[in-house]
Amino acid sequence: MHLRIDGISKAWGTSTALDRVSFNAGASDFVCLLGPSGCGKTTLLRIVAGLTEPDAGSVHLGGRDITRLPARERGMGIVFQSYSLFPDLTAAANVGYPMRLRGVAVGTIATRSTELLAKVGLGGFGGRFPDELSGGQQQRVALARALAAEPALLLLDEPLSALDPAIRAQLRGEIRTLQRSLGIPTIMVTHDQDEALALADTIVCMRAGHIEQIGSPRDLYERPASRFVADFIGRANLLPTHFVREVMPGFLERRPPGADATWELCLRPEDIVVEAGPGGDAVVADVTFLGNLARARIDWRGQVLLAELPGRSMLAPGEPVAIGATRGAWVAA
Amino acid sequence: MNAIAAPRSAPRARIGAVLLLAVPCLGLLLLFLHPLFTVASRSLTDASGAFTLANYARLLDDPGLPRAALHSVTTGLVTTLATVLLGLALAMALHRSRLPGKALIRATLLLPMLAPSLVLGLGLVLLLGRNGLVHRLTGWPTDIYGFTGLVIANTLYGLPQVVLIVSAALARTPARHYDAAASMGATAWRQFLDVTLPRLRFALLAAAFLVFTETLTDFGSAVIVGGNYRVLAMEIYSEVVGQLDFAMGATLGMLLLLPAVLSVWLGRLARRRQDSGDASPGRALVPSRDTRRDLVLGAVALVALLPMLAVVGTVAYVSFVKLWPYQPSLTLANYTGLTEGFGPVWTSLTVSLVAAIAGTVLVFALCAGLRKAPPGLVRPLQFVASLPAAVPGMVIGLGYVLAFNHGPAAHWFHGSLLVIAACSLYHYHAQAFLTMQTGMRQVPDALDDAVAAFGGGTRAVLRDAVLPFAAPAAIATFFYLFMRSMVTLSGVIFLVTADLGLASVTVMRLDENGFLAQAAAYAMCVVLAGAIALGAMRLLLHILKERRHVA
Repeated sequence: MHLRIDGISKAWGTSTALDRVSFNAGASDFVCLLGPSGCGKTTLLRIVAGLTEPDAGSVHLGGRDITRLPARERGMGIVFQSYSLFPDLTAAANVGYPMRLRGVAVGTIATRSTELLAKVGLGGFGGRFPDELSGGQQQRVALARALAAEPALLLLDEPLSALDPAIRAQLRGEIRTLQRSLGIPTIMVTHDQDEALALADTIVCMRAGHIEQIGSPRDLYERPASRFVADFIGRANLLPTHFVREVMPGFLERRPPGADATWELCLRPEDIVVEAGPGGDAVVADVTFLGNLARARIDWRGQVLLAELPGRSMLAPGEPVAIGATRGAWVAA
Repeated sequence: MNAIAAPRSAPRARIGAVLLLAVPCLGLLLLFLHPLFTVASRSLTDASGAFTLANYARLLDDPGLPRAALHSVTTGLVTTLATVLLGLALAMALHRSRLPGKALIRATLLLPMLAPSLVLGLGLVLLLGRNGLVHRLTGWPTDIYGFTGLVIANTLYGLPQVVLIVSAALARTPARHYDAAASMGATAWRQFLDVTLPRLRFALLAAAFLVFTETLTDFGSAVIVGGNYRVLAMEIYSEVVGQLDFAMGATLGMLLLLPAVLSVWLGRLARRRQDSGDASPGRALVPSRDTRRDLVLGAVALVALLPMLAVVGTVAYVSFVKLWPYQPSLTLANYTGLTEGFGPVWTSLTVSLVAAIAGTVLVFALCAGLRKAPPGLVRPLQFVASLPAAVPGMVIGLGYVLAFNHGPAAHWFHGSLLVIAACSLYHYHAQAFLTMQTGMRQVPDALDDAVAAFGGGTRAVLRDAVLPFAAPAAIATFFYLFMRSMVTLSGVIFLVTADLGLASVTVMRLDENGFLAQAAAYAMCVVLAGAIALGAMRLLLHILKERRHVA
């Protein structure tokens, strides 16, 4: 179902959590709300879920205004970061819970729960209690339970944040596969840019209660709309206009109009070309070897740049180098 | 699947949430605040109901009253000092020593929880009174009545609570602080001064204020071992029961309320500032080998705990003596041939059961209601719910008499079990509320939200999210209210009638009339009921933990 968020605002006392936020999500989209902590992404998710009431604005699902509808009448499935399973119920009973609330027949609940647990790779674990499951398994149960609600919309509130990195990566892949195969529109809150890049069809990048940019992961990485997005997603070298005019004036042609101070050039570390040679006007400050690649900090006329090179490149600190760039994007400072 | 049934309507859930808060609030208003204000207004009005300060002026006319106030404060201060020092040593013995037999120390500390100050006072009299066991055995002229007896009885009563508070603070001090101090060359004594003590500051303060309040408002030991050393609680009792001067009783009650409120308020401040400790406790602390420290702590533990055992042991022994102190042969007659029968014990059990059930339900509803209440409402309600901690039992009891013995419902209220149960419940409301609130804080917000998101209303949230986590707290609340209601004397002393005896009151009456062996037998019944309740509570909590997978 199509989700439309329109001019949502929310304040907690005097501090603004959301300021007139709007966006749309398509019928089977995976949308990530991405931003640093305190940017309002969780508040926005809770408003969509009906757990928090907005001060202004509206939420439409499938053309129906659900802004004032209480959470329990919205029919959404939700997975929280942690501690959301009933500790005194087995995995199967947890999964069956939404159906029990709706008065589904006991036999149907049992079959459905077994099915759903198998779907998240936990066939045979139905009799376990949450404290007998690992963190990753608990989140799988929570996911199965969210699906048991036959949700019109699946909401994931940092579902992977409390897990170990290895399990996080694995479960991330499984969530994506599952969501694709079921075609349920999904909104996930995360502060982890890697997660957002890997999972989302659309990323909504938020900052301090408003949306900085909406777009595909590739859009946000290659054409960040603001200094904040450039900095938050991936690594960025941000160069002021006057410096660019001095060292690589070719980029100036594509700069949108405006005062110098309002624009900066964003160069991704992998787009910087480094050539060793006595004629170079830059100097290698230090090199960090990371296996498949090496990250070098380079002093170029008083500006320190971060460059990523193949791990085999033999740069040494103090070595003179020449700098170029294959591509760059102008961002609002 | 087309299993999505029509959801229940939202307004009904709202009504449920409102009721959740409204019923317990009504209880607090009618059965706590109303009696309390009645006492206050009675102290400020004359016979015709006009405002006057004459009652307070009268306080100074009788030289006995200022003296009683002085006695109360002196007893309170000395008891507080003794209890806090001994309690600190006992907590150190439990958590920072290698003493053997810690389980024994813990078990002994349970005694005062089962035996109210009344029983401790009785034991002291039987042991060290003019005709006490020690005098019988040695011929020494012992006389425990008065200041010393009060201090000992109240100290024994307060010790377990101080040990509990200090122990909790000790458990929050991580081992690595001691490792750090030791690696910099601090001796054990320096570590105590520099690591242990600073972290205990607020716990000690909170404990001190608690003991001071309890001693000041204690009636049980005052009536048994106070003798001619009159304290305020005794004066209130004499004014009301002896001279039927309710106005003076109310005025003295207000006098007692003042320091109690102040003390509880300061104790709260201290507790709020308490160091919450490190988030990660890290390595468990293993006390180093230190014979001298262990000897000293062991000696203090003996000094503190032997009297406790001796006092309760004496009551147990005397309860089997034929005619104390004249015929020392042993008999069961004190139990089988009770003059008043077991009636008062059953009455006490009934009252306690009613108070415990009603109290647990009301406090559960209040805490559950507060979770979703508007922020502006939470603070004032928390204050009122905790206020009973500062109100002496006698003041509440007096308030009940003044508020309910006249007026429309007087006939129904007079001598009713329910009134006594209500009085006990609201007397101990603060601690019950605190326990329940702590339990409810365990409920993860995510669980709450999950129930709501999957279509559950207020009832489903309570049943599926709140109850599993709050059940241990509810059980603890139930037994706390039950045990306290069983033993309380100060709250109910004005409410009992000729037909409606309570076990604790009967102990007092038998003692007053010199039937000491029978008083002891009655006291043991009370202690036994408490012990059974405590055992049942531990068992239930254990089973719950095994079965429900909730820590």
